[in-house]
Amino acid sequence: MANDVFSVPVFLVVFRESLEAVIIVSILLAFLKQTLDGPNGDKKAYKKLVRQVWLGTALGLLICLVIGGALIGVFYTIGVNKWELSENNYEGAFCLIASVIITFVGAALLRIGKMKEKWRVKLAASLEKPLAVTGPAGRWSAVKMFFEKYAMFALPFVTVLREGIEAIVFVAGVSFQAPAKSVPLPVVVGLLVGMFVGYMLYRGGSSTRLQIFLVVSTCLIYLVAAGLFSRAVWAFEAQRWSTAIGGDAAEIGDGPGSYDIDNSVWHVNCCSPDLGGGGGWGFFKAIFGWTNSATYGSVISYNVYWISVILGFLSLRYCEVKGRRPFMKAKLESQKDTVITIAAVKGSQT
Amino acid sequence: MASPRAHWTLTLLALLSSIPFTHAATVTYDFNISWVTANPDGLTSRPVIGINGFWPIRRIEANVGDRVIVNVLNSLGNQSTSLHFHGLFMNGSTHMDGPSQTTQCPIPPGGRFTYDFTIEQPGTYWYHSHTHGQYPDGLRGPLIVHDPENPFTDMYDEELVLTVSDWYHDQMPDLLPLFISKVNPTGAEPVPNSALLNETQNLTISVQPGKTYLFRVINIGAFAGQYIWFEGHNMTILEVDGVYTQPARADMIYLSAAQRCSFLVTARDNTSANFPVMASMDTDLFDTLPENLNWNVTGWLVYDSEAPLPEPRILEGSFEPFDDMALVPWDGQPLLGEPDQVITLDVIMDNLGDGANYAFFNNITYTSPKVPTLYTALTTGELATDRTVYGQYTHSFVLERGQVVELIVNNLDPGKHPFHLHGHHFQTVWRSADQAGTFQDSGVAPAEFSAIPMRRDTVVLFPNGNVVLRFRADNPGVWLFHCHIEWHVQSGLMATFVEAPLDLQKSLKVPDDHYAACRAGGVPTMGNAAGNTVDLLDLNGQNTPPGPLPAGFTTKGIVALVFSCIIGIVGVAVVAWYGFAADV
Repeated sequence: MANDVFSVPVFLVVFRESLEAVIIVSILLAFLKQTLDGPNGDKKAYKKLVRQVWLGTALGLLICLVIGGALIGVFYTIGVNKWELSENNYEGAFCLIASVIITFVGAALLRIGKMKEKWRVKLAASLEKPLAVTGPAGRWSAVKMFFEKYAMFALPFVTVLREGIEAIVFVAGVSFQAPAKSVPLPVVVGLLVGMFVGYMLYRGGSSTRLQIFLVVSTCLIYLVAAGLFSRAVWAFEAQRWSTAIGGDAAEIGDGPGSYDIDNSVWHVNCCSPDLGGGGGWGFFKAIFGWTNSATYGSVISYNVYWISVILGFLSLRYCEVKGRRPFMKAKLESQKDTVITIAAVKGSQT
Repeated sequence: MASPRAHWTLTLLALLSSIPFTHAATVTYDFNISWVTANPDGLTSRPVIGINGFWPIRRIEANVGDRVIVNVLNSLGNQSTSLHFHGLFMNGSTHMDGPSQTTQCPIPPGGRFTYDFTIEQPGTYWYHSHTHGQYPDGLRGPLIVHDPENPFTDMYDEELVLTVSDWYHDQMPDLLPLFISKVNPTGAEPVPNSALLNETQNLTISVQPGKTYLFRVINIGAFAGQYIWFEGHNMTILEVDGVYTQPARADMIYLSAAQRCSFLVTARDNTSANFPVMASMDTDLFDTLPENLNWNVTGWLVYDSEAPLPEPRILEGSFEPFDDMALVPWDGQPLLGEPDQVITLDVIMDNLGDGANYAFFNNITYTSPKVPTLYTALTTGELATDRTVYGQYTHSFVLERGQVVELIVNNLDPGKHPFHLHGHHFQTVWRSADQAGTFQDSGVAPAEFSAIPMRRDTVVLFPNGNVVLRFRADNPGVWLFHCHIEWHVQSGLMATFVEAPLDLQKSLKVPDDHYAACRAGGVPTMGNAAGNTVDLLDLNGQNTPPGPLPAGFTTKGIVALVFSCIIGIVGVAVVAWYGFAADV
């Protein structure tokens, strides 16, 4: 391995982190292009939302550089990796937030995709008069539009921030031990390759049939979100364990002592997605939330997440078909009218 | 000592020649073991185990040939105890050796127990508790055997006893569960809080100019080895672990836990200044060096009590203590011949299924048997020569009387370990340097062994190195071989030698107060290590250490992984179904 000028762990980490961020950004952009940039599209809304995505990306990048720079400064002056002492808590929090946001945005994307044709009609119609359609659809329009307003910013922002900080901290950590000239090249190459993959995704996504693209890409991001949720719980448990053994469990590698035997569901002394850049297992972790050392928390949370998503989509569908929430009576007509009016007013402000 | 006949002849002659000059006495001690409070380093008061209300505990002194009787009353109230007389052969009295669940049952609170043995060997020894890692809480003190036939008696004017040790502010019952625990997966030993000289940090030794003193120095610590030197004076070593040596000049010595050394120091002629006596703990094995830890302790040779007590000089570079392998025994005992039994033990540290770190000889970590090993040897008839009856986890080896036994110990751990054999001195025929690997791989031939090997009962094994020991099994009994770092005793770095068990059955009479301690503690005294008196080869129910860590995926893990995958697939299917479902 020519790791004098090209540190493979650094490349893999930068590629992996930029890939995760780029997946989210390019899916969003492709979706927007499909939905709003066609002949029937709303160029103004398109431009506005695309700007939001890039704004979120840029701001996330900026802040993660600032934070990363501050951490490196602390590294050099104090010589203590304070980040590492509670890094699991930070990582857990980020993963949790990202997972929650992705979950809701994913559902919104699917719904918007299904209703694309009617969306414009409803929006236009609602501006003329209150709609006499069933309540829940209108209420969902309001929710959709609310999410639309901020999700396009929030999702790329949080994702880029999280991935960027992880990448910077890891590269900084490695660069203290590896020869300095082995770091810049893989960073640049990793970024370029990641962006290239993202661009291909965007191109592919923009030209496929919207529904297929949406479903496939949403399935992918739900897998990612399930993994993130499980990782968040795992990270909190890993932090508790690190504190219990009075130091950084990661320093022990992946052998005995790096995990709590009483809390372990499975542990293999290999295939760690974290050590030495993680290699191929790192991709498994990014997409499926794979860990070589699973805890009760991480396994249960993974399953709980999926069960919640399944139940959520089942009840959404039930709503759509039956016109009411499961186990609830249909709303009164007057209430429905109020909701539609509110939706109409909000719609005109978008 | 080349042949048994020569041995007997010499003994007879010695006996006959000693009759007009010596008169074997009986020395009796009554020890009431109880808690007292002490603050030896001036930093914190803590409960310590004292004898008859005093701590430090008193010295046991006797002459060669004396009979020693120690009547113990355990007034601790919350702990059982026992006493081991470190370095004494206990020939014919293996049941007085002291380790709990090996040669006796622990003495319960309120219990009485009598140790009754005869000492046939001169030198510097010590006595300490051999139960539940107890002795670092204070139950350790010097045991000196004076020799009327001492070959060096004209070389010195006065004898002084000096103990060095490490010191903890916390009690062992609080430290042990933290040491052997899943939150200590690397097995880091607790770091001592201080070092002590004669159980204090204010030691002053008055010396007179021109006199020569014999210092008998004992490391009674739990863990730390000690570098010892006297500023402005050098030492002439005369004895280690009870073995007289050819006098050897040294500037500094190293004593691991449990080792002893006697040396001469000649006082200077002028009395204008006082000189520091230094002991510095070997911090190589310390997991951390806390900021407030002072690992040195200073005493003083005081020539002039009006003069100031100077600060010790800081030494630059690394310590260069005397290498005890260079010592030549005074009696010139030659290298024992071709061994009849060779036992190889590899020292390994590893984690077991409870997540804690344990110590192994080969693949066995020592776990106490249900029946003390000696009582198993006495009650299993012919099968006492079958090591099976002693259980798998006492790691027992049966030795035939008179055999020459060779012990090869390979250190597969990057830490130093001081190994001690009960009941014997051993010849240290070979000790490798650090990182030399195993003895088998090092290609050292027996021709390279020294012709008159150094002898002692506690030897330091270097990191990733090896050591070869030889001794003759001429002492029927049950003898432990273990690392004398008390933490490693508790985590299982022990093996057992059962020497001539059939001879023991014929000759040994265990007094009733020993069995009374067993009855009071509910400990069985008959049968194999599992307490089985019917089928002696059935070890079901023996005490076992925790099982191994799971090597990979267990059933639980496979089920969890498969279930998670299934639910992920189902979830993705539901998402896709929803996404493709016709709009309402």
